[in-house]
Amino acid sequence: MTMPPISPVAVTAYQCVSAAGDDVETLYASLTANRTCLKPLQLFDIPFETVVGEVTSPLPEIRPSLKAYDCRNARLALKALCQGGFRADVERALAMHGKGRVGVILGTSTSGIYDSENAYARLLQDGVMPGDFHFLQIQTAQATAEFLQRELGLQGPCYGISTACSSSAKALAAAQRLIATGCCDAVLVAGVDSLCRLTLRGFNSLQLISPQACRPMDAERQGINIGEGAALLLLERPSAENAGRPRLLAVGESSDAHHMSAPHPDGVGAATAMAQALQLGGRDVGQVDYINLHATASTLNDLSEARAVVSLFPNPPPCSGVKGLLGHTLGAAGAVETIVSLLALERGFLPGTCGLMRPEPECLFPVVGAPNMELSPRLILSNAFGFGGNNASVLLEAA
Amino acid sequence: MECMSLLGFGACAPDAEFRASLPFPAFDINRETIPPLLRRRSSQAMQLAFSSAAAACEQARRSPATLPSVFASVAGEIQTTDLLCSELVKPEGVISPSAFHNSVQNTAAGYWSIAQQCTQPASALAAGVDTFAMALLEVWCQLSCQGGELLLVCYDEIWPAYLAPGRGRPAFACALVLAAGAAEGSIVQIGRPQPGDAAFPPVWAPLADSMPILAAIPLLSSVSTGEWPQVVAVSPLAPGWQVDVVSGK
Repeated sequence: MTMPPISPVAVTAYQCVSAAGDDVETLYASLTANRTCLKPLQLFDIPFETVVGEVTSPLPEIRPSLKAYDCRNARLALKALCQGGFRADVERALAMHGKGRVGVILGTSTSGIYDSENAYARLLQDGVMPGDFHFLQIQTAQATAEFLQRELGLQGPCYGISTACSSSAKALAAAQRLIATGCCDAVLVAGVDSLCRLTLRGFNSLQLISPQACRPMDAERQGINIGEGAALLLLERPSAENAGRPRLLAVGESSDAHHMSAPHPDGVGAATAMAQALQLGGRDVGQVDYINLHATASTLNDLSEARAVVSLFPNPPPCSGVKGLLGHTLGAAGAVETIVSLLALERGFLPGTCGLMRPEPECLFPVVGAPNMELSPRLILSNAFGFGGNNASVLLEAA
Repeated sequence: MECMSLLGFGACAPDAEFRASLPFPAFDINRETIPPLLRRRSSQAMQLAFSSAAAACEQARRSPATLPSVFASVAGEIQTTDLLCSELVKPEGVISPSAFHNSVQNTAAGYWSIAQQCTQPASALAAGVDTFAMALLEVWCQLSCQGGELLLVCYDEIWPAYLAPGRGRPAFACALVLAAGAAEGSIVQIGRPQPGDAAFPPVWAPLADSMPILAAIPLLSSVSTGEWPQVVAVSPLAPGWQVDVVSGK
């Protein structure tokens, strides 16, 4: 279906906490060093071998008035908010536009369920949930969005999008529409997911977890590693003041309509999402300089995505995926990897594919192994695909 | 975009007594709306969502295969998630792979796209007590940017009682087929969701406090009883969100 183009929005600030560092500076250093940050899990015990992208530095405390929202997910979000002047940028937007004009859209897959699991352990032991368990402030998918809204004193639209691993890429889409339609002047987009037993053991039950550090797009890939992270982006209507900031041109979205947990084998839905991003953003395949792949390192996902790239691009640009560096941050992945792509645009490099030794034979395109510091991409697609065949592709352009 | 047009709607309420109290037509779960292969493992959330979505598409005379969709739910697949969390904390707990992938918030959205062979975008959102209001805002933005028509499905199955004591019932779903602008054949036209202090009808407030997705009741009531033009509260709390409802064409 052909849809009218959408107005671009400016990305005026961004910050990220992940296994690859507590802020975008350390993330950039990790990306250029390209050494895996995946390590054995410390947060809780699991009955199988793997490595994870865990945030092991201390997390900040939630203020007493917002204690009902206290959970690992909210703390990760608060940590990202407090990095490198990001909070001041949101407060500038708040002062400029007014509290009712700044929205918060979260992308998450499991919200604060790590803390719910701890509450269930008490339920099993004591027969009741602990008194400090607040279902609607911890576990449901909007919880961390509401926390950020209250922490910042914002009063605009506030919701969570939860479409598994495409969640925060779709949050970017929703945020862009809120600005394009005049419902908001600025939107804080947050992709936040935290390590929990549910996802570790759930993906293990699907036999998708790799015991060693994962190797996206490698011929001998053995599965995924779960990560956690909080990625925050401030989107604003383009203006003379933010003319020097990169642009989110569009987010393409599609459904595979194929299977709940396996992608379409030929990547039809993935290709549709990328094509739609280009169409909505008014760009064509020949202009894309780099694709940040979803590349989870699961056998089927990588094959499907490789076929999608080959089917859409007559001459595919260089591609890479960063999950061997910081893990698959699930609902946060779309926002985390959009920030990786923004760093590539702003600092002039192509991220590598940590763990890649011999590319999957169906990757009929250049897979960037070691980071390429010579090329400066101007137009980037960043992919995020999730359960339910839920696909999103984020199109970003340099200022 | 000046307004969005309601082309059809459907409501599903499995509790007969609650259903009878509603000021608009509602139905019990219709398992025939779920393909046989999916039916056995389908959650109450999915049954609610499919039942209402199928009824809305039928009333609007639209093929579900062509409509982008937005699925909104406060708690999503909470019964499946509860089962998994209970197993996770047992020493010998068993995690079923299908239960895991059926615990995501977009389970109903994903199966709907598969069942209808619909490759249009599908979203799944949650906004606590403002879930219905934010769902209307999301569909407003999609229609405003993209034009065309879409399907909105709002649903919540019963929540396990210990998660939020006194809340999380009765189960309910409603689905709306909406078009951008003033479309021919519309039942009503709905304005842009806006913050405001329109009062939520006191008669429904306790139920909407228990089950926030029931914030849809005043809008569906307005549509069904022909009480328009009016400003309708779509949040259970004031100040919250509201929409203008005017006659269709």
